[in-house]
Amino acid sequence: MKLISKRIIELLIFLVILSFLSFVLMKLAPGDPVKQMLRVDDVAVSEEQMNNLRTELGFDEPVYIQYGKWLKRFFQFDLGSSYMTKEPVIDELVEKFPATLRLTVASLVVMLLIAVPLGTLSALYPNKWIDYLSRSISLIGASIPSFWLGLLFIQLFSVRLQWLPSMGTGTAAHLVLPSLTLGFAMSAVYMRMIRASLLEGLKQDFVRSARARGISESRIFIFHAFRYSLTPILTILGTSLGSLLGGTVIIEVLFAYPGIGKLVIDAIMNRDYPVIQGYILWMGLFVVLINSLVDLSYKYVNPQLYVKGGDKT
Amino acid sequence: MRKKISLLCLTLATIGMLAACLGNSASTEEKSEKKSLTFVSNFPSDTFDPQLNYTTVRAGIAETLVKVNEQLQIEPWLSKKWKTEDDGTTWVFEIRDGITFQNGKDLNAEAVKHSLERTIKESEAMKSALKIKEMKASGQILTIITTEPLATLPSELVHPNTAIIDVDAPDIKSKPVGTGPFKVASFKPDNEMKVKKYKEYWGGEPKLDEVVLTFNDDENARTSALQSGEADIVYRPAIESLNTLKKDSSIVVDIQPSLRNQMLFYNSRQEAFKDKNVRKAFDVLLNPKDVVNTALAGQGSPATGPFLDSLDFSNDQKTKTYGPSETQKYLEKAGYILKDGKAIKNGKQLSFKLVTYPYRPELPLMSQMLQSEAKKIGVKIDIQQVENMDEYMTTKDDWGIVTYSLVTSPRGDAGYFFNALYTEGGAFNVGHFHEPVLTSIIDELNKTVDQKQRNKLARQAGEIVEKETLHSSIVHPNNFVAYRDNVKNWVTTKSEYYVITKDLDVK
Repeated sequence: MKLISKRIIELLIFLVILSFLSFVLMKLAPGDPVKQMLRVDDVAVSEEQMNNLRTELGFDEPVYIQYGKWLKRFFQFDLGSSYMTKEPVIDELVEKFPATLRLTVASLVVMLLIAVPLGTLSALYPNKWIDYLSRSISLIGASIPSFWLGLLFIQLFSVRLQWLPSMGTGTAAHLVLPSLTLGFAMSAVYMRMIRASLLEGLKQDFVRSARARGISESRIFIFHAFRYSLTPILTILGTSLGSLLGGTVIIEVLFAYPGIGKLVIDAIMNRDYPVIQGYILWMGLFVVLINSLVDLSYKYVNPQLYVKGGDKT
Repeated sequence: MRKKISLLCLTLATIGMLAACLGNSASTEEKSEKKSLTFVSNFPSDTFDPQLNYTTVRAGIAETLVKVNEQLQIEPWLSKKWKTEDDGTTWVFEIRDGITFQNGKDLNAEAVKHSLERTIKESEAMKSALKIKEMKASGQILTIITTEPLATLPSELVHPNTAIIDVDAPDIKSKPVGTGPFKVASFKPDNEMKVKKYKEYWGGEPKLDEVVLTFNDDENARTSALQSGEADIVYRPAIESLNTLKKDSSIVVDIQPSLRNQMLFYNSRQEAFKDKNVRKAFDVLLNPKDVVNTALAGQGSPATGPFLDSLDFSNDQKTKTYGPSETQKYLEKAGYILKDGKAIKNGKQLSFKLVTYPYRPELPLMSQMLQSEAKKIGVKIDIQQVENMDEYMTTKDDWGIVTYSLVTSPRGDAGYFFNALYTEGGAFNVGHFHEPVLTSIIDELNKTVDQKQRNKLARQAGEIVEKETLHSSIVHPNNFVAYRDNVKNWVTTKSEYYVITKDLDVK
């Protein structure tokens, strides 16, 4: 219980520091949302009207006062409303997050389905044809920009074969192409990592001693070598998960699968401060949670990393 | 052992492939007898609030009191007629009889008043544009009193953000109720919207039963959606795909000149550009025809002024000679001499910073063309590309020329352009020009209600801008739409406000 409350306090302090830094950086960056709000590209607006709106929104106050007001609202669980859509920021985040989450999970599944088999087979048959094949796939996956890969998939599966929808949401089929694009691009890295970790795992002393004890090769491979290789994979998986949950704007735009990524890019373009702040906190929270989960998983995957008392060595 | 694990791996991979293919079976939808159409565009759709987004008007859900036709002339819409009693402060609009909202409620002046009240409450832009002090409603007569004389009020009421909706209807932000031919069935922000016909539409029953509007910012993805048959109409397909689409006999490509103008702004705070001859020099350096062919891949037309030639308030075309030698003549008039391959005045070479931005890819290309042509006559141009051009050109003074793209007459009136660019404190008066005669003409324009007189004043203002070369209008890019040949009655409007109409049909 004590540990949990300690963690929550740490998290709050982290979020406040993060929010302060992001707020200050945002305010230091040139520009504000006033021109967008007044639609200067469409409505004749004078400098005076722009300044009036700046005053109304409190942009002419010192940054620390603006931040103080924001922080006060934050502690009342109010992230404010978007300047552009007038919707509460929390609603915007909650509305866009499920699409991002679906895309994240599906992409990771695709990545694992490609990377685990090919990476494993590469490690089992080093320098054989399957290894060369996996190397080639990995090289292609790492070289091709994901938006271009997405366009290729659209051309093949939507335009030529007409098997899958090229854009939109709604059915499982809509998720196939975006997750295939993301998953394929990610699998390039994971494939080589799984191969390298497995090969290293198979060289460990405990593998030799397990063989000496007469344990079957398949048991050794799965319960010793593979388990050993999970640690670096989980670490990078945590990072991937964080960046995927942060939104993959290019893929979201390409497949009209709007999620958090597009939301924040639009917000940055429009200088929609409340949305940007909300996003940074939201992501900060998730990154902390994911890292905590990854830390926790080490305990089960590789108990050697832990000694009594739960402190990492 | 290896075989076992290999088998396991291959099984996993196969499951993955199967799952991907099985996903497809879930997407098969029943073919219905309904007349349906799918329209894919890049229109912003993060919100559906009529007062913050144009989609309600574009999708045929809501309508405005006034509209513009293809010549950008103002026409009645929900309002039958209007007049001002005191040169633009008190306006009386007569609302058309027999119109109902899509929930059956009658449209009267009271409903319009409540809707416009919501408009100025929700939209800072409309609040500053409409300048409404108070409104009175009686039957079908709506009286609007403005805070100051506003000759352009009817033109401002063309703006889609003034769309009239039933403010008492629940869930305005996602299911607004308007008076248009289509009513909302569903809306997913930034993704998709479905509308279905409103049979009792005052203009007659719409031909389509339903329309799906999908939003996609990627032009290649939009093009693919048309090619794969997912879309019936695609707004702005990829420019490089136009020739391919034209060759497809089942696709029609519709190309129209847009109200947009790609232009050069000059900075009068830079010593060189205070001289009219220097501005004139760069005005004739690039041949607009070359810009159309090179930077716009042929998809545009040379501009003779800020407005399209076909509009009532655009100036008569003037024949100009273009090219470096013509530029040199003006530079010589300004006191520059070509020495050792450099344009020199007072011992200094003419050099300046040209700022552009990548959002419209033709602008950086146009900048490079300018740079290479200027080099031929000894002028050094440093190009800088910025992300936020609006911010840069209004807060920095270190540039000589910026490239910009602007819709110059968004609602059938030249007032917006001249006020934004050439009045003191105008949002786009980045060149800081102050021409007393021009200012007095704009003041006169702002007070003039009569459209013919307004057009005359706009032409006079245009003459001064041209004579003094306060900016250079280079090209008007085209709008292009591609659609399947079974689509009937599609019209690519110049204003881009009216998209889904009651007449739109599929064979």
